[in-house]
Amino acid sequence: MSDLERDDPRLLINAAIDGELDAAGAIGVERRLAEDPNLAKEHARLIAVQKALRGLPRERAPEALRARILAMAAPAPAQRAGVVAFRPRRRLAQLTALAASLALGVVIGAGGLSVLSLRDGAEVAEKAVVADYVRSRISGRPIDLASNDRHNVKPWLAGKVAVPTVVADLSAEGFILAGGRVDVVDNQPVATLVYQRREHMIDLTQTPARGEAASDPRREMVDGYALSRWTEAGRRFIAISDLPASELDVFVAAFRRAAAVEREDQPSATP
Amino acid sequence: MSDAEAAERFVDLVAPHLDEAFALAKWLTGNRADAEDVVQDACVRALGALSGGAVEKPRPWLLAITRNAAHTFLKRNRSRTVVASDDLEALESASLAEAGERPASPEEALIAAADSQAVEQAIRDLPSAYREVIVMRDINGLSYREISEAIEAPIGTVMSRLARGRAALIDKLGRRR
Repeated sequence: MSDLERDDPRLLINAAIDGELDAAGAIGVERRLAEDPNLAKEHARLIAVQKALRGLPRERAPEALRARILAMAAPAPAQRAGVVAFRPRRRLAQLTALAASLALGVVIGAGGLSVLSLRDGAEVAEKAVVADYVRSRISGRPIDLASNDRHNVKPWLAGKVAVPTVVADLSAEGFILAGGRVDVVDNQPVATLVYQRREHMIDLTQTPARGEAASDPRREMVDGYALSRWTEAGRRFIAISDLPASELDVFVAAFRRAAAVEREDQPSATP
Repeated sequence: MSDAEAAERFVDLVAPHLDEAFALAKWLTGNRADAEDVVQDACVRALGALSGGAVEKPRPWLLAITRNAAHTFLKRNRSRTVVASDDLEALESASLAEAGERPASPEEALIAAADSQAVEQAIRDLPSAYREVIVMRDINGLSYREISEAIEAPIGTVMSRLARGRAALIDKLGRRR
């Protein structure tokens, strides 16, 4: 590094903002920045550029491309019979479910079958939620906005979905808010909150209830995941997790309590 | 390794990095449709390469394959837009220090105020050799060592291209009207 230092301090400050220097190197850079105001200005400009780049919207591979690529890995039927391990089969089942629900979304989106989507809205939403949960786990990127502060998550979602999102702080109950994500259900952007408990994730998707009557949580198992859905205060809630079902029930109860408290605290919308 | 095993490992290795591969391909080709072709081609190559042996670092591995697929794509489809290696050498031999001592260096605040459209345009205007290291570093978040593996060049080259690319971005973003 000493050659570089002699030749070009700019390489060094680039390495510094990239976190590529060891402690001794970092101290050396700090010293030079303190001594040389021009270098310090360049350092500030580099940080500004890096910030601008990191602030760009994240690119996502289109779902159709993802589906095509994952399909390349699916073994031919003859080979599949020989697979005995549990995991690959399960994964295949998940991918098949994912592909099926994506296809369903496409059919409804393309055909404009509003009657079908209204009648089967709940089912479509459920399928989309499961698909999104699985997809976000496969992609390793379950969150669009990472924040454990509901005062960040709520306004961020407000700019993207029509209905205000109920965001509850459940850290006292052991469910940590990890962030938010925008999913597409039945052609509408909807808000999904992501909570964390130990190494497990819970996705909570909220869609407009469209006149559906309020209902208590109903829990079922879908593709090996615990899923719970209920309707209240004009919203349909769907929670899905790889947690044991009983723990998802605890989450749902805690969320509903917190949401009820928040509703009472808020002034009425109509004057 | 059997085909079935390779297919299973393919999902484990490739799926988590698909978004990043797509982002890189988009920045290298300039549009989403071409990026889809490039990523699909890269994944075909990746699947073929899997039977060859162990992959220790799937992220730089997939991005290296994606980068090569993008270069092949660009050579085949629009050879004129690829920066000729002569140009690159000229760029590389220009003194970085000179570039830094231009009379009026733009203010940091002006750079910070650039909207994402301006930032994206500035990235697009970079020579591709600079663009790819900047995208790998600041958008994909790769370390210098990982970038060096992905572009098959020494770390010193990664560092000088990053520094020059960023200097060009500063210039561009700092002189907007």
